[in-house]
Amino acid sequence: MDSSAPQQAYDRGNTIFSPDGRLYQVEYAREAVERGSPSVGVVTDDGVVLAARKRVRSPLLEADTIEKIHEVDDHLAIASAGHAADARQLVDVARRVAQHHRVRYGEPVGVESLATHLADHVQEHTQTGGSRPFGAALLVGGVDPGRPGEGVGQPRLFEVDPSGTPYGWRAVSIGNGTDGIRRFFEDRLEGDLPGETQRGIATALEALATTAESDLEPESLDVWTIDSDAATVERLSADEIAAVLAELES
Amino acid sequence: MQSPMNVKTSFLGSSGIQPSGNGRRSDRDDGGTDPHTLPNEITTGTTTVGAVGTDGVVLAADRRASLGGKFVTNQSARKIEPVADRTAVAFSGSVSDAQSFVRHLRAELRGYELRHGDAASVETAATVAGDLVRRGPYRILDLVLAGVDDGPAVYQIGGGGGVMDTAYAASGSGMQLAYGSLEGGYEPDLPLADLRRVVAIAVQSATERDTASGDGMTIATITADSLDLEQFGSVADGVASTGDGAGNVGSNDPNAIEESDEEVR
Repeated sequence: MDSSAPQQAYDRGNTIFSPDGRLYQVEYAREAVERGSPSVGVVTDDGVVLAARKRVRSPLLEADTIEKIHEVDDHLAIASAGHAADARQLVDVARRVAQHHRVRYGEPVGVESLATHLADHVQEHTQTGGSRPFGAALLVGGVDPGRPGEGVGQPRLFEVDPSGTPYGWRAVSIGNGTDGIRRFFEDRLEGDLPGETQRGIATALEALATTAESDLEPESLDVWTIDSDAATVERLSADEIAAVLAELES
Repeated sequence: MQSPMNVKTSFLGSSGIQPSGNGRRSDRDDGGTDPHTLPNEITTGTTTVGAVGTDGVVLAADRRASLGGKFVTNQSARKIEPVADRTAVAFSGSVSDAQSFVRHLRAELRGYELRHGDAASVETAATVAGDLVRRGPYRILDLVLAGVDDGPAVYQIGGGGGVMDTAYAASGSGMQLAYGSLEGGYEPDLPLADLRRVVAIAVQSATERDTASGDGMTIATITADSLDLEQFGSVADGVASTGDGAGNVGSNDPNAIEESDEEVR
């Protein structure tokens, strides 16, 4: 019997702990995320910016059909990294939760509620027999609507990882090159917010550029903004992205 | 004899036929769930009207909510609700059914938009609405659904969930009176300004004689570019806001509470 046999037993089922308390299947799922092209999120003074790099592996591929950032409700969007097919399922859950919340409570769902709900769903798949963990991480960006009279909404940004843990961030990255991008954010922002939306978009694109092998192209980028005042989600056009890139280069 | 206070508020009128011997009230809003035990000769309260014009659609409704058409429980009820960017629905029937129905229809249409990337067509909205009425828990709901996608469209959705495409429609206890007015006033290809007047007058005609309709008017005007919802404290104010029928139309009425391009949510 070769020496790797005992460990192999622990990565068979994702519901089995290794002797040192690790869940190998969950760690492998994290690895799947790390292999995905990166998505970043930045909280700004007036909203949230989500940006992602798309892997356009052939000029024949229609870049628009690569799904990295998804609209979830009026005030919510989700960026993903890792297995796109797994991410799609989570986005579908998110959309259902958001609409169900409106039907049941007559109000938009809170960003943290949605993120924790998704995290619970992801966690369930790390503990249920016969299922495998999700090979995708999510960035849930959105606006918690202010209560009447309390003014504008609060921008929020959450990460949901394959273990099913939600984390709140001011700026964060998932997918390939996450460590480098996180250091970039830490150096650049020093714990502060980057300012208004345009600065946030520039910071997000700069962050994606730090790990890119070639120059960023508008066609291989997806950039969305969520506005606190209006509580709306907007996708930037290729021209708008090109304008930000041109400004970064100058 | 039961007191009218025993029943829940509804847009139902009693202008129809009284319960036929089984002791149940005409509004049926008493928690009974088996339609077979309920009287089937009921007309709904309210007057709603919808019509297609050249470049848009108009919906109008009165604002009275009543207990079996006998006691007015609310004089500022809103019976037209936007359900998507350019689609709205006017309803008559039970208030509770209508409110729940609108929440579900909105969620369905928003879900469609998110999954497909484009808003649902008015026909799709009508199909979904008809399905909800047919399969859902709603006991009494009569709808006029109207909107604009590639063109303007009005759908009539009956209490059984049947969906019918139509140029104009009325529903509720005042519908016969409204239809009488519409048959005289409606013409195909009316400009929106003229159409608003025809529709408002149809609702007004009904409120004159139908005791389950009255107290004010809501008018929704939908074009490819906007969805305007206006509320009026009196029926006359609603009609007045549509001008003199000579193209002199506007919402300059200070009594109008305009909710222009209102958010769907």
